Amino acid sequence: MIQLYHVSKRYPNGCDALNDVTLRIREGEFVFLTGASGAGKSTLLRLLLVMERATEGQILIGGRNIHVLRDSSVPFLRRNIGVVFQDFRLIKNRTVFENVAIALEIMGLGRKEIERRVNQLLEGLRLIQRAHSPVTDLSGGEQQRVAIARALVNEPAILLADEPTGNLDPELGHDIMQLLIDINRRGTTVAVATHDAYMIEHYGLRTLVLHKGKLLEDRPRVSVRPGQDVRPPPSPLVYGSPLAMQPPVAAAESSLASAADPDAVEAP
Amino acid sequence: MKRPPRPDYVLRQAWLLVRASPWLAAVSSLTIALALALVGVFAMVLFNASQLLHDLGRSLTLTVYLRENALDTDIAAVQAKVRTHAGVKGVRVLTADQDRTRNTKLLPAELLQGLDEAAIPGQPVIEVDLNADLGSRADVDTLSAWCKSLKAVQSVEDAEFGAEKLRLLFAFVEIARTIGLVLTFVLLASAMFFVFSTIRLSVFSRKEEIEILALVGATPVFIRVPFLVEGVLQGLCGSLLAAGLLGLLHLELLGLIRDVHMLNLSATLLPPGMIVWLVLGGPLVGLAAAAVSVGRYLKV
Repeated sequence: MIQLYHVSKRYPNGCDALNDVTLRIREGEFVFLTGASGAGKSTLLRLLLVMERATEGQILIGGRNIHVLRDSSVPFLRRNIGVVFQDFRLIKNRTVFENVAIALEIMGLGRKEIERRVNQLLEGLRLIQRAHSPVTDLSGGEQQRVAIARALVNEPAILLADEPTGNLDPELGHDIMQLLIDINRRGTTVAVATHDAYMIEHYGLRTLVLHKGKLLEDRPRVSVRPGQDVRPPPSPLVYGSPLAMQPPVAAAESSLASAADPDAVEAP
Repeated sequence: MKRPPRPDYVLRQAWLLVRASPWLAAVSSLTIALALALVGVFAMVLFNASQLLHDLGRSLTLTVYLRENALDTDIAAVQAKVRTHAGVKGVRVLTADQDRTRNTKLLPAELLQGLDEAAIPGQPVIEVDLNADLGSRADVDTLSAWCKSLKAVQSVEDAEFGAEKLRLLFAFVEIARTIGLVLTFVLLASAMFFVFSTIRLSVFSRKEEIEILALVGATPVFIRVPFLVEGVLQGLCGSLLAAGLLGLLHLELLGLIRDVHMLNLSATLLPPGMIVWLVLGGPLVGLAAAAVSVGRYLKV
């Protein structure tokens, strides 16, 4: 799903944010990216979102080399990558519904279809009662759930999260992590950048450790860890979409096969 | 498939942008309204002045005064020369006696008391009805040149059609046009500057939102269009306001001409084509200013 070959990112001031990183994240995998501040976690996510371009190396997403992706095709790639930030990045003067709907508005979907899909997702995330509240009226945990809803509403093949629990207390952070794990169980490839060692230890999932821009360690997933919630997902999260119903690999492939081809990417 | 943003979404976002800074939007719209109203006033004055000159040209009379001793052959020769001109509608020849009789009728009775009829001037006259197409001062000059060529004929004493008055009217129209153009340019430039600044502030105030939209996969067109529509809305408000002001001014003007000055004139507001351009002008000015501002400050 995501492949990096000898990727380096050097800024004009000479700072090497990433240095010869080679890694592979498979379809349907859940991966933690960790490392101290400045290790290159956020830079890696920015490169995957094509917010920046790699100085050297190749990045393949769904088999597409994004190094050669035209600027005009970038928005269509981003529609297949959900993104969640530590500071939520919600549009403050809009309601919960509008913040989630924006990811479908940009695809030009009809109003009824948008209402159906957003309400279904908000229902699943227990946010439907707050649908028409301004996002600024919500708690941190609720705001992060709105951000996750926005990232998921167009059923992306990949979900990237940059310190998604960084602004939340441990209990809310656990809820958000559980939600991301549920999402992953439905077939979405999830990459979470975090420096929370406790969380990494607690979930025992595959962990890529970055240090000063280099990939220091690739820790495999621990099958079952003590204390880990391994129950089948009971959450009321409902996609009700063809993508969610497909096996993870097929869903991911169908979604990303032509991410760089604007004419081929459309709301399912 | 690339789908354009839904019109209702774009309009709603543009309206939200306008509502976010209502005073600035109002100032922009008022400046556009003022500029367009001024354009309209000058266009109205110039259009009606041109109409008046055009009508004058259609009913212009050239009077050729022949010398008292002119022979019938001389009169016929001048008449023939006059008829060669393309703009001649009709020619009337008055003998010296007919001219004297006409002059007698024109003079007040008190002046004629005790006056010998032979003392009243009279000479052979050729009155020429013209159908001249007076579009500019050059047309008056052409007619003057022809008039001068008639004066050069030996049997012709004088020939005139009020060229000086016409030149004065044309000069007035040209001065009004120049002042109008300069003022229009200055006011439209100011209006564009106001819209440009308003859109720039809108872009700055939505910087975070723009970044978020780009991150979730919005195309540059999707992000930019609401700002462009904001400019168009400001321009449209200005246009409609200007059209309303011009309509009121026109009604006032008609009342003034008819009731105060008792003139049987009908001032036209503007030809329909120009009214359409006036209404379209505001949105076009708004769009142009917004496009420059968005192009300069909204980098996606």
